Amino acid sequence: MKIYESSVKKPITTAIIFVAVVILGLFSLNKLSIDMLPEIEMNQAIVLVTYPGASAEDVENNVTKALETVLSTVSDLKKITSTSKENVAVITVEFNWGTNIDDAANDMRDKIELVKQVLPDGASNPMILKLSTDMMPVVIYSATADESSQALYKILDEGVANPLNRINGVGAVSISGAPQREISVNIDPQKLDAYNLTIEQIGSAIARDNVNTPGGSIDIGSETYSLRIEGEMKESDLLNNIVVSNFGGKSVFLKDVAIVRDSVQEKAQESYINGKKGATLVIQKQTGANSVDIVNKIRKELPKITKNLPKDIQFHEVMNTTDNIKNSIASLVETVLLAFLFVAIVVFFFLGQWRATIIIMLTIPISLIASFIYLLLTGNTINVISLSALSIAIGMVVDDAIVVLENISTHVEKGARPREAAIYGTNEVGVAVIASTLTIFAVFLPFTMMGGMAGIMFSQLGWMVCIVMAVSLICALTLIPMLSSIMINKDRKSSKLFEKLYSPIRKLLDKFDNIYSSSLSWVVRHKTFTIIAGVLVFAGSILLASRIGSEFIPASDNSQISGNFELPIGANVERTKVIASQFEKVVKEKYPEIITFTYTVGTPSEDDDNSWAQMQTSGSNYVSFRLKLCDIDDRERDIFEISEGLRKELSSYPELYRYNILPGGGGGMTSGSTVDVEILGYDFEETEKIAKEIKDKMSKIKGLRDITISREDYKPQYQIEFDREKLALNGLNVATASTFIRNRMNGMTASLFREDGDEYKIKVRYDRANRQSIEDIENISIYNTSGKAIRLNEVAKIEEKFSPPSIERQDRERIIKVKSTLYGETLDKATANMQAEIDKMDIPSHIGVQIGGTIVDQQESFSDMGTLALLIIMLVYVVMAAQFESLRYPFIIMFAIPFALTGVLVALFLTGETLNMMSAMGSIMLIGIVVKNGIVLVDYINLNRERGMSIVSAVVSGGKSRLRPVLMTTATTVLGMLPMAIGIGEGSELWQPMGIVIVGGLTFSTLITLIFIPTLYCVFASREVKRYRNKNKLKLNRRAV
Amino acid sequence: MKAAFIAYNQAFVEEVEDVLRQLSIRGFTRWQDIQGRGSKTGEPHLGTHAWPSKNMATLCVVDDYIAPILKKMIQALDHSAPNQGLRVFFWDVVDV
Repeated sequence: MKIYESSVKKPITTAIIFVAVVILGLFSLNKLSIDMLPEIEMNQAIVLVTYPGASAEDVENNVTKALETVLSTVSDLKKITSTSKENVAVITVEFNWGTNIDDAANDMRDKIELVKQVLPDGASNPMILKLSTDMMPVVIYSATADESSQALYKILDEGVANPLNRINGVGAVSISGAPQREISVNIDPQKLDAYNLTIEQIGSAIARDNVNTPGGSIDIGSETYSLRIEGEMKESDLLNNIVVSNFGGKSVFLKDVAIVRDSVQEKAQESYINGKKGATLVIQKQTGANSVDIVNKIRKELPKITKNLPKDIQFHEVMNTTDNIKNSIASLVETVLLAFLFVAIVVFFFLGQWRATIIIMLTIPISLIASFIYLLLTGNTINVISLSALSIAIGMVVDDAIVVLENISTHVEKGARPREAAIYGTNEVGVAVIASTLTIFAVFLPFTMMGGMAGIMFSQLGWMVCIVMAVSLICALTLIPMLSSIMINKDRKSSKLFEKLYSPIRKLLDKFDNIYSSSLSWVVRHKTFTIIAGVLVFAGSILLASRIGSEFIPASDNSQISGNFELPIGANVERTKVIASQFEKVVKEKYPEIITFTYTVGTPSEDDDNSWAQMQTSGSNYVSFRLKLCDIDDRERDIFEISEGLRKELSSYPELYRYNILPGGGGGMTSGSTVDVEILGYDFEETEKIAKEIKDKMSKIKGLRDITISREDYKPQYQIEFDREKLALNGLNVATASTFIRNRMNGMTASLFREDGDEYKIKVRYDRANRQSIEDIENISIYNTSGKAIRLNEVAKIEEKFSPPSIERQDRERIIKVKSTLYGETLDKATANMQAEIDKMDIPSHIGVQIGGTIVDQQESFSDMGTLALLIIMLVYVVMAAQFESLRYPFIIMFAIPFALTGVLVALFLTGETLNMMSAMGSIMLIGIVVKNGIVLVDYINLNRERGMSIVSAVVSGGKSRLRPVLMTTATTVLGMLPMAIGIGEGSELWQPMGIVIVGGLTFSTLITLIFIPTLYCVFASREVKRYRNKNKLKLNRRAV
Repeated sequence: MKAAFIAYNQAFVEEVEDVLRQLSIRGFTRWQDIQGRGSKTGEPHLGTHAWPSKNMATLCVVDDYIAPILKKMIQALDHSAPNQGLRVFFWDVVDV
């Protein structure tokens, strides 16, 4: 018994199976979590080696080069970049997308093992760090306080960070911008010298006076007691009375030589939130945890936490990755629902029957819901990709059902009983339905095998569409016949009202049929004219191609902008702060869309445990800021326009050295394109000169913004150079002398002060007043082993010097990059202009100049997609050839593809969209979608000829009878895509080009298919007939002889 | 006794069964998935791409007085869908 036969004969079993599938699907939906994209494994690992005391060039020659050589043999390697700075080498190894980073890291470890012996003795063990998306914060809060600002760190650490850390899935919670408590012992150097003391002695005195010691045990009678000496200080005040030495028979107390202050750390990063000083809480997630779940939990927990805190502490959300996720998902859900509605209207419009419409529309929820089971089983999430797949598939899933139902209806009309009609009707079209679904598989299955970045985005899409289509095929072959056998009957009377409403539509459709058949019969009699017209239309559209720009991935608006600016190197924090606050005031006035404006100034202190802050660039001259804007619907300017305004604003400050604005907050792939020029060459000065020249040229090219040279400027610094002879004469060595300087300027941690289970550092150093000039450094006394004090200026010279810049390398060659971001110009044009400028330059042959940035990714993806398109064209041809058992008819049908391209170009041109990864993907999908119309048409024309019609009448009557099915399936697909093409809500910018391309391409190609393919069919078929006749004639002649 | 050979589109199997049941004809022989075409009009039932529908045939032996009634009922069924070409043929049964 065939599958449709048994499903019709066992309606209850069939119904129950589908109900079970739907219940399972809904259960899975309930379990699935939400995310932006399918899980992406980062493809980078970093090798870090410290080599203290080595200059950038030494590091490059001795460490970086050796490591690069071995690392370049690691498999799946894409690119090696490195930075050699003073003391440290950082080598970034980038792998091809989809490489298992754990295996790759192991491979790297083995390779590094080989080269370890060659590394210089002073170099540390190479450390391998894997980059992951988990390092990106999920949410950043800011906390402001009035009275409690001094204790903010402790309050946040204990009252907020700890409870938040207990939430399942929350990784690290780090606090920055809030200074930590520190007990500082500020020493007056004159008094120190007067008492013949050193900071080291004071430090050890403090340490000696702040210890708990176990004293063993004592037996008293029959009991054993342990002895314990509680020597730790209970209060920081007690430090004052520590005896540090004896001078002239009298005890010298710490208060005699120093001021003890129980306060906060001297240097820390400062954060300002909407002009108010405060702290930021950066929350990272654990590996594999779901961001949206975490943020939901945090939001639920935070009001409870705030209740227990002092009343003046307030929290603001500075950055939140999940709002964007939620909004994008919500707008896609809306898109899917709208598509469902549109498809329902189309089906009803063409069929004019409620029951048939309901039967067909049932396929949509069943096939879509069933795909959630797949998502749950494979551990995926509901994300932008999986939902877009649903929105792409929604118009196609009804096609099979329509074909089956239409045939069953025909049988019922002819007089068969619905039950038998359902079985035999399905039997007749079963093969055709399977074949047309196979063409969709031919398009989407290759998607699942794609590599690279596109592979991550589209393999899930491919699976989803294939699964949805497979379920819809099963539906069409089982559920649809079963339901039709029950619900469809011949003599059904429709109400008068319905007749009144629907009869105009029916008349309209009939009119369409007639117009089409008469124009078709004209066209097949003027074949040459039609073919020439078609070729001209196609050629004309190709001319449009040059007027369409290209980019990589369309940028989308996520209501966030981040950026940074720098004052010239050496500017202190105070000066930087003034400019930052000035900038904030102006910007907030000009852009009322801004909800929060946070900025951070200064360097995080070195013993900060804030890993997020340590990873970021910082400096006393460096300000990083972050804006959160109101919802996209509540404002007219998008983030790119506002960013452009910010750039203009920043350029009006003459004191700034450089600035950079990142619309979208820098994270993610959709924040716009970059154009980089890479200059490869060994000689510093030469490459620097070229870089500057290129920078000048870039600033004149339209659309390039934020142009910066990657090599840092020479930093001014004071260098202390010891005279080794004098050192030796005084019995000193460099290490001792440098420790002396460091302890006095930077401070030494003498001991830890414990209170309520927390530890605070006791830092001993010179008073701030004695750490402000070169003389202060020169006057530092260094004591040798015989206890003799020697001033620093006796053994060393202090000179102002510039530290050499770090050396960047890429694929084992020195490189400088001139970077820029793009605004208001398409990637291809900006790149072409840049290339033209470079070609004009006179560049020595040993220096390489090439364009990098987004264009490289674009070219890579586009060439992948070109291969994919070819593969899909071949697969589609194979499927069709098998179905028609002919090589000629598939070839005729393939002519729909160039006209789809015409439609794509026209649609892109009219909407002003660019050719990007999304629109290219849409065009590839079109290959499979547009041939479906041709299959339906040619199949029926063939049928007519087999039934004995002449070529022309077979074509005309076939065309007329297939017009409605073709228009109907096209309309469902086009209208199913329409919500996507219009673009609803946040994140829709990404998918809009794909929607536009499919709507445009399919509409245009269908219109052409209906005219052009019948004409071509006539040409090919009549040639075939003539050849056949000639062959037979020949035989007759032979016989005659 | 007469032998009745009923040739019909397989979609009509239930209707034909109904007729047999109404006339209390218990015994029959039936062929499935067979092909056929009418002499003058009607759709061929060939199971091909052009004519995908197929025929069925039922042979039953009925009493002489039943034959005209059967003929009438089958013809009525034929009139409900003339294009499907439902036919019944009779001939005499010599011996059982």
